[in-house]
Amino acid sequence: METTVKWATFLVPGALILGLLALLLDLKHKLFFWQLYTTIRMESPMSWGAWTLMFITPLSMIWVAGYLKEIIPGWNWKYKVLENSEKWINENRKLLAWIMIIFALILGIYTGILLSAFNARPLWNNPILGPLFLVSGMSTGIATIMWMSKNHKERKILGKIDLLLIGIELFLITHMIMGFMAGPSVQLEAASLFLGGQFTVSFWVFVIILGLIFPAALEILELTGFKVPIAIPAMLILIGGLVFRFIMVEAGQITRYLY
Amino acid sequence: MEDKSKIYYNPYFGGVVLGLILLATFYLTGRGLGASGAAKSTVVAAVDKFAPGHAHKSHYYSKFLSDDEHPLNNWLVFEVVGMLAGALLSGALAGRLKFKTEHSPKITVRRRLLFAGIGGFMFGFGSQVARGCTSGAALSGAAVLSLGGFITMMAIFGSAYGFAYFFRKLWI
Repeated sequence: METTVKWATFLVPGALILGLLALLLDLKHKLFFWQLYTTIRMESPMSWGAWTLMFITPLSMIWVAGYLKEIIPGWNWKYKVLENSEKWINENRKLLAWIMIIFALILGIYTGILLSAFNARPLWNNPILGPLFLVSGMSTGIATIMWMSKNHKERKILGKIDLLLIGIELFLITHMIMGFMAGPSVQLEAASLFLGGQFTVSFWVFVIILGLIFPAALEILELTGFKVPIAIPAMLILIGGLVFRFIMVEAGQITRYLY
Repeated sequence: MEDKSKIYYNPYFGGVVLGLILLATFYLTGRGLGASGAAKSTVVAAVDKFAPGHAHKSHYYSKFLSDDEHPLNNWLVFEVVGMLAGALLSGALAGRLKFKTEHSPKITVRRRLLFAGIGGFMFGFGSQVARGCTSGAALSGAAVLSLGGFITMMAIFGSAYGFAYFFRKLWI
């Protein structure tokens, strides 16, 4: 599992910084971003997200720094303090990993919970969105690692986990739509965006079929011994995950309670 | 696992299956199959994106443009996406999923690609003049006993037969 533990983690700091930059650009008063860090509000998903990002971004850099010597032969930290810190990191990997798993779970779920806290948007305002975003994020993450990995055994394990996650994701999506269908008329209207409305084609074709079911079929084929270039299911899952987020954010803004 | 990469279906069997697919398509979607239509929609969408003025002035492009529907939101486009996905699955099942260029051993890959490109370009142009290609006009047309479908079918295969002599060096 070298790619999972070592090489793929090199993507994380970059991805986090990119995400943070996007969050900053989204702020109305960019220079006041630091005010998020003057308070801790348990009831605010944004506060959870901001603090989690505050911890996980440097942690992800520290995690990667410990493997720099392996990826760049002859890397020299130059200072004794840094050399000692590296030694400490490599001796306490497990502790670090546990801390990061907890933060990663919060990070993956908070975007969905943040959207579901918008009680004026019926599409977002459902408790499934958090777990759904988490599972979709985990599945796209695994797709990326699978794409990077050259080890057959590792890819097989990841493929199995990914299939499980795709199954859970399909279940959560079904569950979400069924929840809408059993809800008040504003939620029925939200669901109708995907059941005949303007997002029907993009959602069912690009997210459900090409982003989940088809790559799952390819992964099953690969697990049963057929040769499938891993780039194809991986890319489909990544595109499907991205389209899913775009659609949810776009569609959510159309739905409302007041007419 | 045994090597199945060289085993193909019997063409007559394949033909019958294609006919059944066409029948199923009529039953499920209420219209026939097509292939060149998706390429056309792609071209129309691209021209509309980069030169909307030209696209709306042109008699040809403007026919496929409307204000409330994107030119790519078309059944044939999705059919072709599905075709790619299905072909990929079939290739994986037959163990034939690798990058290669099929060509006669007597010609180079470049020559094959060049002539395939020229042929494809001419066929695409011809199919738009004839309002359909082998699938859209000949197959789907003949399936509903349209005279145009039969004429297109004979014209495509007849001219292919006639011209094959001049381009035989590309294959044998």
